Amino acid sequence: MGNHQEIDSALVPYRILDLTEGGGMIGARILGDLGADVIKIESPGGSPSRIAPYYKDIPHPEKSLFWFAYNTNKRGITLDISKVDGQEIFKRLVKSADVVMESFEPGYMNQLGLGYTDLSKIKPDLIMTSITPFGQSGPKAHYKGSDLTAWASGGYLYICGDPDRPPVWISFPHAALHAGAEAAAGTMTALWHRRKTGGDGQQVDVSMQECVIACNFNTPEMWDLNKVDFTRFSKGLHVGTQGVRVNAVWECKDGHTVLICQGGVQPFINSMNELVNWMASEGMAEDWLKEMDWEKDYDASKLTQDAVDRVENAVQRFLITKTKKELYQEGALKRRILIGPINTTKDIWEDSQLHSRDFWVPVKHPELGVTVAYPGPFIKLSESQIKYRRRAPLIGEHNIEVYENELGLSREDLAVLKRDMII
Amino acid sequence: MPKSVFAGIKVAEFAWVAVGPQTSRYLADHGATVVRIESHTHFDLSRAISPFPENKPGLNRSMYYGKYNANKFNASLNLNHHRGPELAWRFINWADIVIESFRPGTMKRWGLDYESVSKVRPDIIYVSTSMQGQSGPYAQYAGFGSMISAVAGSAEISGWPDRMPSPPYGAYSDYFCQRFLATAIIAALEYRDRTGKGQWVEQSQFETSVHMIAPLVMDYSINGRIASRHGNRLSYAAPHGVYPCKGNDRWVAIAVFSDKQWQSFCEVIGNPDWVKEARFKTLPGRKENEDELDNLMAQWTSNHRAEQIEISMQAAGVPANMVEKNSDLFEDAQLEHRKFYVRLNHSEIGTPVYQQQADFILSKTPRQITMPSPCLGEHNEYVYKELLGMTDDEIADHIIDGSITTELPEGFQFTTNF
Repeated sequence: MGNHQEIDSALVPYRILDLTEGGGMIGARILGDLGADVIKIESPGGSPSRIAPYYKDIPHPEKSLFWFAYNTNKRGITLDISKVDGQEIFKRLVKSADVVMESFEPGYMNQLGLGYTDLSKIKPDLIMTSITPFGQSGPKAHYKGSDLTAWASGGYLYICGDPDRPPVWISFPHAALHAGAEAAAGTMTALWHRRKTGGDGQQVDVSMQECVIACNFNTPEMWDLNKVDFTRFSKGLHVGTQGVRVNAVWECKDGHTVLICQGGVQPFINSMNELVNWMASEGMAEDWLKEMDWEKDYDASKLTQDAVDRVENAVQRFLITKTKKELYQEGALKRRILIGPINTTKDIWEDSQLHSRDFWVPVKHPELGVTVAYPGPFIKLSESQIKYRRRAPLIGEHNIEVYENELGLSREDLAVLKRDMII
Repeated sequence: MPKSVFAGIKVAEFAWVAVGPQTSRYLADHGATVVRIESHTHFDLSRAISPFPENKPGLNRSMYYGKYNANKFNASLNLNHHRGPELAWRFINWADIVIESFRPGTMKRWGLDYESVSKVRPDIIYVSTSMQGQSGPYAQYAGFGSMISAVAGSAEISGWPDRMPSPPYGAYSDYFCQRFLATAIIAALEYRDRTGKGQWVEQSQFETSVHMIAPLVMDYSINGRIASRHGNRLSYAAPHGVYPCKGNDRWVAIAVFSDKQWQSFCEVIGNPDWVKEARFKTLPGRKENEDELDNLMAQWTSNHRAEQIEISMQAAGVPANMVEKNSDLFEDAQLEHRKFYVRLNHSEIGTPVYQQQADFILSKTPRQITMPSPCLGEHNEYVYKELLGMTDDEIADHIIDGSITTELPEGFQFTTNF
């Protein structure tokens, strides 16, 4: 442990060698945030994950905002583990590591002589966490992955979108981020086991497919229980008992908002009462609407599509008169209506709640000559606080620190390795 | 049989619906003792959410509730009863971890807030998860995962560029918030093991969610660009999309990233004339002519079955996957290999499938599902007597005065909201 870690953090005793790429990199980032010494390893010349968007739209590997976001709190070295010399160096690094995280195709690390069997010989208490599209073994383990195809494999893609068009995903690669966060949870589970057993390491096998299935809300159970094969519903939600569609996405004056008109139980009953009160205060609620008993008349097990449509037509006519801000401040905050404006990245940047909680953390980028605002700690911890100790590493930024100061290689050794493109 | 990872760790769960219960399921599925604490006067609203077997609702019949609560015990009490907090304190004194997801200020009303609890139990790991955190102007914001998905940006960037957003279905943000929370809780356990200190683990689901689109928010703050939605397209891949196949609402997702994959793709589809056109040879060319490319792709895929396309593309090293329906998942050989679904007997639901909570398998101490989700108050005797060490008389007193609840209020009609 060196001056690169907070003494009073949760994971200060741990060193993690991070070979992950893409969204999976968030896993080691989370553990780095919690205090671990994370060493991001990339091939000489730089990781393929240094992708757009770029700082000031300058497409340069040292200006990748994607890289910045998911590699904060990590040191960085270069190493070509596909070469024998690189593998030897990696093994030396493993001697002082607690965790190796990787997202290569199943079997690749084994091929290099760097699989769990090999590495656990060097460090018996090692934890090796692997992220793959389907897991380390099984009939689809050899499949080529991508974020979109992972989304498809998990059933979630099918239930998203509009019925008159293909199923549609989120326009940002989330499957890998889910898997990365899951890898952090799995690694912590394995670390706890190791701690309680005085040194029993093991493998953590994360499947992106399974991560995606987690998002399916109540739809897998709809199939298992009642053989209803749910399909995309176009900005609505499906009420299981009656097969009725309730709307979820509405137009408002300056954009869109999510609102679900439901009843039956709290807090939905109150939400609808408040919404109708608001509508009534502006003369936009007819008597039948004001007289609705949201507990009994909107009990989902008795709902009809006609009843829903009638209510929702009235609600839409009201919502179109309001801005996102009005719906948020007056509607959500003041009246506790269950409403969520569909925020753009601009809205999020300007959001008052985030600013009031000092969510945006300034991180120095001396190489750019600026300070960049980053999303703050993903969770607040009262004692072992999450701190941003360093920005994401430049290519090979800590080669000297790690290879010379820690592994004891000489400056000449490093020059040879560089010449041979090992680092 | 290896001792399970969290054996001996005790979790008192006051949280509702999705994020809290899913988070504690990670622990339960690896051996922790987790007690859901509910009430007959105020039960977890996810019990009112479908599906129910035969679409007949009932307090203990929801598999939405079921999914999040396998492997847990259930005890019932009434926190609003004047002797309710006394019972809660017994749980708190028993527990290593307390999880709650009430509106900020609620636990304080009962004298069960972190400040009060940590005075008595400085080693407690007290977990609060809420929409927007415990402080700030929107601390009292009421909502669910679908609202946070909207507020925290996933909704806006989902769907087609020429239409209203099509947000990810359901309570999307719930399903990554719990991964972050579980990680933080185990880290807090680690910290306590070293230092003896507990702490408050406080999650604003909004804040956690921003990390899922961090580069896009930074793209706005630095470059002024507002992120938008692109259907199924990706700026650095083509073809990249979802294409129609033979059969009823059948689709295949195909993603081609490199020229090598493009060549393999062309071979699989039999090298028709159109792929030899200059405009499709390179990625920039394919991006520039993407509408036409997607049409030509669809013409080919429409004549084939999705599974067949998946198999032949994968055999050639091209990322492709049929767009699986829920019914496909239950027949998926890969999931079977990983024992993803476990069927258990449930006293009111029959033999439902429980899916794994952890999406990882530990090689020596793998995830287990051994108990079905509990009925309300099902384990009162076991929990109050065996776990909390109360005497029969103490328990009887609480039942008589109603602070331990045992049945629904008289005349109560079970209504559902979804």
